[in-house]
Amino acid sequence: MRRGQRWIVLSALVASVIWATPAWLHAQDTPTRGGTLVVAISADPGHLNPAITTSGATHTAAELLYNGLLGRDERGDPIPDLAESWTIEQSGAVYRFRLRNDVSWHDGTRFTSTHVKFTFEEVLLKFHARTKASIGGALAGIDAPDDRTVVFRFKQPYAPLLMQLDATEAPIVAKHVYQGSDPQTNPANAQPIGTGPFRFTSYRKGAEIRLARNAAYFKKGLPYLDELVMRVIPDPGTQVLALENGEVDFLWGVPGPDQNRLKGDSRFRTAQTSYHPGGSNCIMTVSFNLERPILKDVRVRRAIAHALDRDAFLRQVLFSEGRVATAPISSELAWAHARGLNMPSFDRAEAERLLDTAGWKKERDTTRVARGVPGVPDGTRLAIDFLHFPAFSKYGELMRQQLGAVGIDVTPRPLEPAVFAPTVFKDRNFDTNVISYCNGPDPEIGVRRMYHSSQIGPVPFTNAAAYRNERVDTLFDLAGRTVERDKRTPIYRQIQEIVVQDLPYYWLVETPTTRAWSAKCGSFKAWTGLFAEAAFCNR
Amino acid sequence: MSGRYLLRRLAQVVPAVAATLITAFVVIHVAPGDPVLALAGQHGDAAYYALIRAKFGLDRPLPEQLLVYAANVVRGDLGVSYVHGRPVVSILLERLPATLILMTSALVASSIAGIALGVTAARRADRPTDLIVRIAALVGYATPSFWLAQIAALTLALGTGWFPVQGITDARHVSTGWRYAADVIHHLALPALVLAINELALTTRLVRTGVLQSLATDYIRTARAKGLPERAVVRHAFRNALLPVVTVIGGRVGMLFTGAVLVEAVFAWPGLGLLLLSSIQTRDVPVLLGVFLLVSLVVIVTNVVTDLAYAWLDPRIRYE
Repeated sequence: MRRGQRWIVLSALVASVIWATPAWLHAQDTPTRGGTLVVAISADPGHLNPAITTSGATHTAAELLYNGLLGRDERGDPIPDLAESWTIEQSGAVYRFRLRNDVSWHDGTRFTSTHVKFTFEEVLLKFHARTKASIGGALAGIDAPDDRTVVFRFKQPYAPLLMQLDATEAPIVAKHVYQGSDPQTNPANAQPIGTGPFRFTSYRKGAEIRLARNAAYFKKGLPYLDELVMRVIPDPGTQVLALENGEVDFLWGVPGPDQNRLKGDSRFRTAQTSYHPGGSNCIMTVSFNLERPILKDVRVRRAIAHALDRDAFLRQVLFSEGRVATAPISSELAWAHARGLNMPSFDRAEAERLLDTAGWKKERDTTRVARGVPGVPDGTRLAIDFLHFPAFSKYGELMRQQLGAVGIDVTPRPLEPAVFAPTVFKDRNFDTNVISYCNGPDPEIGVRRMYHSSQIGPVPFTNAAAYRNERVDTLFDLAGRTVERDKRTPIYRQIQEIVVQDLPYYWLVETPTTRAWSAKCGSFKAWTGLFAEAAFCNR
Repeated sequence: MSGRYLLRRLAQVVPAVAATLITAFVVIHVAPGDPVLALAGQHGDAAYYALIRAKFGLDRPLPEQLLVYAANVVRGDLGVSYVHGRPVVSILLERLPATLILMTSALVASSIAGIALGVTAARRADRPTDLIVRIAALVGYATPSFWLAQIAALTLALGTGWFPVQGITDARHVSTGWRYAADVIHHLALPALVLAINELALTTRLVRTGVLQSLATDYIRTARAKGLPERAVVRHAFRNALLPVVTVIGGRVGMLFTGAVLVEAVFAWPGLGLLLLSSIQTRDVPVLLGVFLLVSLVVIVTNVVTDLAYAWLDPRIRYE
């Protein structure tokens, strides 16, 4: 094996990246030390160990207690964190990380490579669903040849590793705390010890989590805040009222109807981001069940796509917070996102023409009926159901209105998430649905699962359409073992061109969320779970 | 009241609670939904989902799960929360005080104010005061508590700045002793007020009707004919009017908990209602069953206490 591309990232880059952030991330004033930041969170996390779960509630509340080997800048690119540099060897089959030597755990124990090896082998690859499902199958082994070196060996070149090592995907936990115990029941999950900018103080279940400044944090001078309180406020409306009433300082999300009010109020700052610990770079996507005879003909799927006015979805559902999707991969993953694709545009006449040619005719009724459609008895009405989470009911209403206009009868079926998943992926009892598919930090993590034929099955939020295309499978496999990003870009472009032709899905809108915070505070890094690492408040 | 009666009433608690638990267990498990999804997230593989299923015994047949659960409940073990990974009993005990404070405050406030308003309205029957009280009670009874909660937050909290809209204490200042108590009362004011409004309206209407009916009875007429002062007359009538009020207040504890679920959700009050809501969303079955068990116990015990209060209020009632 030849020695492959070598990337060395110097720690000096950290400072340049941290400070080269967009203007909206900084308050007008210079950072001051001290103070308490109150953050609203939507759910009680249950525990504070992000290494044993992908739960958004736990990650939102706990990531500031930990670090990953790498972090991510606002463009989504990897930057040093616990590891100060790395090299990629053997065309991406071996990754070698050099760790910082000035890191200690909150209990004073020195951080070494054995903690990294233990965390992956005994915690992440057993209990962190995303990391287990992706890295787990590809990994050959992890070595810790000395205190400051960790080596990941893969069975074959593995491209997305660097995107999977931040505190969201791979938080590093303390070996001396978890060794010899069941990580899922270890009492430290409720009284965690990490390396992060804040250390644990107290946890009142269902009410709040209090964190204090880690004075020994390895990034000198950080954090600025003395204390950070995560306050559990499940109702989004109450979260906004609490911000306006001065009871909290930072919201992870703002409901659409409240956004303009906050944006127009000088007491607050807002910003959009596609990052969320529960899933980033999400696209609201209509899945077509390709096993249903009605939907097997691509002309019908294309007609549905032409009949949908996605601008109306953007305006009426998202209050213009987001973008109409222009490709199957999120525009936030700019290097993988294909521009200029021939996506079906809103054209009701074209939709009607396609349905006519596919054998779905308009007769006496307003709903079209089958006349010579293969596999469908003549006279069958063009009626489909549309499954969605209750929170997405407006998507159902618009689908029914817009498809009804071209003679397709849509019946929305709201189902709770815990019911939706087995209905779609296990029972396959649906015609169409809408899912917020999150692409994640790399297409290998969140895009492949939607299209690869190996991803058809009962596992939730995989290939809902049951789409099979050998060429697409081959291209995904190739992209997964191609480390160089510039070589992966054309592969993903080919994939997107094919799926836009085949239309197993239709991509409606990209859905960033709006963060809001008090104007007295600033310097939030909204694209990462360590969002308050450099935050401050001037009261 | 005989001790035997009391024992018999208490013995009835056991089958009632058992029936509640079995019904809840079956309904929760028959309802569609999979707790594993909530636990494992949306990116797990099949092996991981199987691991989680086995870990919590969800791969066992339903009758077996029920038997295991029932045996554990008898031993005082309500199981371990899927989401929190801790014993359900400790989770319930953590949340119970907040809900008890909220419900008790609302119940006491609504009972005292409801009785006062009801008696006042009855004494001034068909006069402007009575009309205002009746209309206000009707509106209060018809207003959904979740809507009232939003309005209260907008006007009394955001509008005046006097009250907080969330939580049980101030997040920025940790206090102890009397300052802590004052902080809790400050945060309790709005949720307790909202929760009390509905009960207040009902109690007011009941007391007014009861006192009016009592005032029309023969013994009141006799009392008035004897020249008893009107204040004393009303006091006699009021004691007799209390019987249906006590019945209703005792029976409303279950309804009050339902209201508490909504009010806790709006005001982020960290009690059992909030726990119930999140457990439904995550299909955390052991916690759900634990909440059902606790609430059914409280309702049943309240009914027993109501029976006892009957005898105290009306010496003619004797239980054998």
